[in-house]
Amino acid sequence: VKALAPRKGEGRSAMQRADELGKRAEYLAFVLGPEAYAIQIGNIVEILKPLPITEVPRADQGVVGVMSVRGRLCTVIDLKRRFRLTRSFTMDKKSRILLVDVDGEEIGILVDEVLQVYRLSEGEVEPPTVLGTEQPPYVVGIGRPIGGAVLLLLDLSPLFMD
Amino acid sequence: MAELGGGRGDGGDKAREEFFSEAQEIVDGLSRDLLLLDQVVKRGSSDPELVNDVFRAVHTMKGLSGLFGATMMSGLSHELEDLLDDLRLGRIELTDQVLDLLFQSVELYGRILSSVKGDGPEPANEVKALLVKLGQVSPQRDGGGTSFHAKYELDPSLLGVLTEYEEHRLRANIQSGLSLYRVHVQFSLATIDSALDELKARARPHGEIITYLPTGAGGDIETIELEILLASREPLELLQQAIYGPNISISEVRRRDEPSGSLMPPPPGLEARLAVPSSLPAPADVGADADWQKKQRATVPPQQQPPSLAPMAAASPGGRDQSLRSISQTVRVDIRKLDHLMNIVGELAIVRTMMLRLTERARGKSEWRDLAVELQRVHRAFDRHLMQMQNGILEVRMVPLGQVFDKLARIVRQISREHDKQVNLVITGAETEIDKLIVEELSDPLMHMMRNAIDHGIESREERMRVGKPPIGTIALNAFQKGNHVVLEVEDDGAGMDPAVILRAAVRLGLTDAEGAQNLSTREILAFVFAPGFTTKEGVTSLSGRGVGMDIVKTNISALGGIVDIGSDLGIGTRITVTLPITLAIISVLALEVSGRMYCMPLASVEEAITLDESQVRLVEGREVMTVRGATLPICRLFKIFGHEPPAADQQKRFVVIAKVGSRRLGFVVDRLVGQQDIVIKALGKTLKSVRGFAGATELGDQRVGLVLDAASLINEVLASIGESRMPVGIGQIDIPSRVHRLSPGGDAE
Repeated sequence: VKALAPRKGEGRSAMQRADELGKRAEYLAFVLGPEAYAIQIGNIVEILKPLPITEVPRADQGVVGVMSVRGRLCTVIDLKRRFRLTRSFTMDKKSRILLVDVDGEEIGILVDEVLQVYRLSEGEVEPPTVLGTEQPPYVVGIGRPIGGAVLLLLDLSPLFMD
Repeated sequence: MAELGGGRGDGGDKAREEFFSEAQEIVDGLSRDLLLLDQVVKRGSSDPELVNDVFRAVHTMKGLSGLFGATMMSGLSHELEDLLDDLRLGRIELTDQVLDLLFQSVELYGRILSSVKGDGPEPANEVKALLVKLGQVSPQRDGGGTSFHAKYELDPSLLGVLTEYEEHRLRANIQSGLSLYRVHVQFSLATIDSALDELKARARPHGEIITYLPTGAGGDIETIELEILLASREPLELLQQAIYGPNISISEVRRRDEPSGSLMPPPPGLEARLAVPSSLPAPADVGADADWQKKQRATVPPQQQPPSLAPMAAASPGGRDQSLRSISQTVRVDIRKLDHLMNIVGELAIVRTMMLRLTERARGKSEWRDLAVELQRVHRAFDRHLMQMQNGILEVRMVPLGQVFDKLARIVRQISREHDKQVNLVITGAETEIDKLIVEELSDPLMHMMRNAIDHGIESREERMRVGKPPIGTIALNAFQKGNHVVLEVEDDGAGMDPAVILRAAVRLGLTDAEGAQNLSTREILAFVFAPGFTTKEGVTSLSGRGVGMDIVKTNISALGGIVDIGSDLGIGTRITVTLPITLAIISVLALEVSGRMYCMPLASVEEAITLDESQVRLVEGREVMTVRGATLPICRLFKIFGHEPPAADQQKRFVVIAKVGSRRLGFVVDRLVGQQDIVIKALGKTLKSVRGFAGATELGDQRVGLVLDAASLINEVLASIGESRMPVGIGQIDIPSRVHRLSPGGDAE
């Protein structure tokens, strides 16, 4: 992340530019099945190549299991199963595990592929209601970066609230 | 991706943590001091130094909480400080009511602290109520006047600079008939700090130092002379022996009415002292800090000021005013840091295993023999040091049980006053050490046990007299180490529990039926009190309520891997025994395999493992049971309750791991026994907290994670009944609510 503070002597226009840049939020885009999703970068701790995952019997559907990341125990979630996109997950060489901080707990999210980081300005984010009025709480918006990609912006916290 | 990592933790958090731990230490210290004070008052004596300690601790708390914007806490401290100031100045008396207020304040401190941490509601109303009560304790002005010291040959100019506290102490000492001594001491300015402390320490056993002031004499600029006013019961000769030194002279301050041949000359240089302006602030109602500052200004070069936040709580009650040096040898460590170290040890253990494997491979080849021998030696050394490190870390995690006992003593005092019963809490083994995390979890169950013992165990004073018991009840709290376990016993000399009453209640609640009741031993009957919701309240007897909260005790203790046992003799008393593992950080497990997956069963719950003989398995009331050495053992096929695919039918040999928790046994059928291991257990994340049957997970090497089974919860789930394997009928309704688990489609995570 580059420093956004205006340099001395660049005057008011630089300040304005910085302000505008500050309103942009950075998202990491990834693929789940047929769709592209994105999560705010601040919540992402690490991107991992597939690790051995131990299944936890009787856990909720959508929980793949637990893994150990350098001694820390993390639960791994399959969002595709959670969103009922597919019933099972297949790992290939593009698959990654996103380690995401969800309300203080580090959770692994299986994704088919990691795309890139998008810096979206306010104008490039549409409210989720454009997809219809009844959107699940974890969909917080639609990202429309220049270049034509359509990203479903996710906030994972509601998924893990009881 | 490096920029994704992000910086975690910041200085503010760390300072907050420091605040919490420091405040907690002060609260703990306060609690200890108050208990000591309580004893002192009960003996009918007084301990001004202890009152001072409490005052200073509250003062420190006030500063600390002000610094961190904990307004409720600083408000309470402020009022409390006023009260304590009145106490130490003798304006109010230390009565039981005042002590109650002090105990309540300490309790509220604890609750405010947890609410600031976010662990509970803010006790705003309680604090408000207490503040009102504190305000009602009004000081009665001491009418003693100043005539009391007119009888002594004390310099009026000396009396003029005494603080109110010092004056009060002087008066109190004279009133209790102690003699006054004047000690003249010369100190070198360079070492005055330590030398003065040393002198104070030497003088303390013999009397009380009321004040000390520089005399202004002392020859050169390198030395300073102090005049110390000491009150003591001992004769001059003895004091001269105790407090001796090259530059020390002691003389008695004579009473004016005593016939005396040789009048003491007035201490030299008093006038000179009066000329030093800064050493004489106006005597006013100043707190300890003001006292202290006065002396600082007067006697200590400014660059040698000790830190103002003295770690009071760290000093043991016996050894107040320890030197700063000894305090600096201890460090406060966040338990999570120790957990982290323990994790590293766990990983090193994995490295050790890999090393062993390499050694074995090398041994297999003749040309590598020398290397193998060398490797073997390295492995052994590594193994030894790793063990030492593991033990070292475990040792650091250990804290004396006294930490939680102090809190209990306070609660016992409070509850017994609430119930108007007199109870003596006798504690032994407070020095017994146990894992810090266990200590934290122990206070709730122990509190329930205490409450039960006082509420339902100990009889009223009149009743006790009637049956010929001493009017004051006794609760004994004993702790001792037994192998890798710590045993806690809570024993009361109260009314005991009536098995007949409990059995009636158990039948009424459907825990057993009249027929099943025939075969129960007394111990089994008493165990009913641990059933959730168990109460004898609707029964016909006066023995009501005993057992309320006991299921919580059992649940909490089981969660720590411990066992609760209860024994009671009607009319004589009740004894509850809690057996706990000494640490939670490392446990021994039996690794086993079910449908190709590895699980670990804590060895503490494993009784034995035997080969399964399918022909021995019978169905009783829809449950599979087998007979082991003449006793019926219910069995459970783990693959079934875990929803794994059944093991291959052609597998020739399977095993039964017999687990026992408390008095209940269950056989778990597994495919393979892998072996015994010492593991570092880690908790499953919040997301998995609703999944029952697992105590946590551990790393097995090769980066794989193995789940650790929670034998107690599995047994609960499978047996779904209290009592033993006889499984009385009609028991379903009192089962711990059996949550329905959705079985995940197995095996598709590969």
